[in-house]
Amino acid sequence: MNILQRFASKVLLGPAESGGAASGVPEGPADEADEGLVLRAQAGDMTAYDELVTRHRGRIYAMIRNMVKNETDAWDLSQEAFIKAWRALPRFEAKARFSTWLYRIAHNTVYDFTRRRRPENGDEINDEILNRDRIDPGAVATPAETRSPAEAMAGDELREKIEAALFKLSPEHRESVILKDVQGLAYKEIAEVMGCSLGTVMSRLYYARQKLQSLLKDEYDAR
Amino acid sequence: MPDEETLARWVDDELDAASASAVDAWAAAQPEWLARREQARRLTPLLRAGLPAAEEPTYADFFNARIRREIAREAAQIAPADPVLVPAAGIWRWFLPATAVAGMALCFWIGMRVGPSPVSSAAAPVVTPINTVPVVYTPEKGVKAAYYSSSPADAMVIVLDGVAAIPDSFEIPETAAVDEPADSTAGILLPAP
Repeated sequence: MNILQRFASKVLLGPAESGGAASGVPEGPADEADEGLVLRAQAGDMTAYDELVTRHRGRIYAMIRNMVKNETDAWDLSQEAFIKAWRALPRFEAKARFSTWLYRIAHNTVYDFTRRRRPENGDEINDEILNRDRIDPGAVATPAETRSPAEAMAGDELREKIEAALFKLSPEHRESVILKDVQGLAYKEIAEVMGCSLGTVMSRLYYARQKLQSLLKDEYDAR
Repeated sequence: MPDEETLARWVDDELDAASASAVDAWAAAQPEWLARREQARRLTPLLRAGLPAAEEPTYADFFNARIRREIAREAAQIAPADPVLVPAAGIWRWFLPATAVAGMALCFWIGMRVGPSPVSSAAAPVVTPINTVPVVYTPEKGVKAAYYSSSPADAMVIVLDGVAAIPDSFEIPETAAVDEPADSTAGILLPAP
């Protein structure tokens, strides 16, 4: 292996084990360290960017998946968001948190996708490629299931009901609920991500919650 | 009346005790805002119970590897291009084509007189990792993969370092099997049942 190839594998591709399993949930101290990683990534350190991807992919993927419903599309759009973020990284200024900035890019990616998707395609894109049921159960990288079978079944059922209800909302209302009630972003951050005023966020959230409340009435009553 | 951000945070129970009690006093006569808070108190836990805030994408290792590959590919594309040749002027404009024709004629003459050298069977073909390194995904931790290509041998080899010994009793699971197209049965007369 020549020097150039070593450089390519070390700097551009990073170490093989760097994409290892991680929680995907940025927490307090880890989030503080984002700044350092961002600075290194801005200087061209691909390993640092890889770490940022590992750290944030879980939340970005979950947000996008709840927006587009289809798992395969969510996977591709999450990839697209992280690649766009890499391209835009030189322009990132630490005025906002890196995670908020990423959500903003994910937001734009999802809306671009929604706009360019032909109406006749609908949501019924073949989702078998990334069907979790088809992953070899012996694979170490298989997503971990910590719930009991009964809990998993009940949870999946609830998820399906919530997803069905969410898709009866407009994309703006759906996103405001996802960012606030699922992702736990602050109102100001949601306004920044969605590019609107705080009042607009409050209004969207109010109407979205109101509609969800009526759509999920049975779930309320069961609890 | 509290400002809109304070109200929003009050609805979601995000205010500290002192601030919350101040808004409580105001909201006591505001049934609409009390209803909003009640709505949030019931809906938010339900949504959080049903939808995860973070969810690892399927094939998480491959997820990162694909991003790295795409970025590396883009970096290679924007590498500086070959310098543009400036057209020669004056007499050199005629000299260059003449030189090229003479060079081609010389190469042809040498080629006619020099036969192909026999390939030594003792010499091992030079095996080098290919320039465009594909992403080789290994789902098992601790296993490293290297991809090699040899043009003389017309072969590609993937070396998996760290894989546990495979017992003889191991059967290839169905998920790893490749569906081969069935042989054509056209023209074959099947026996009558």
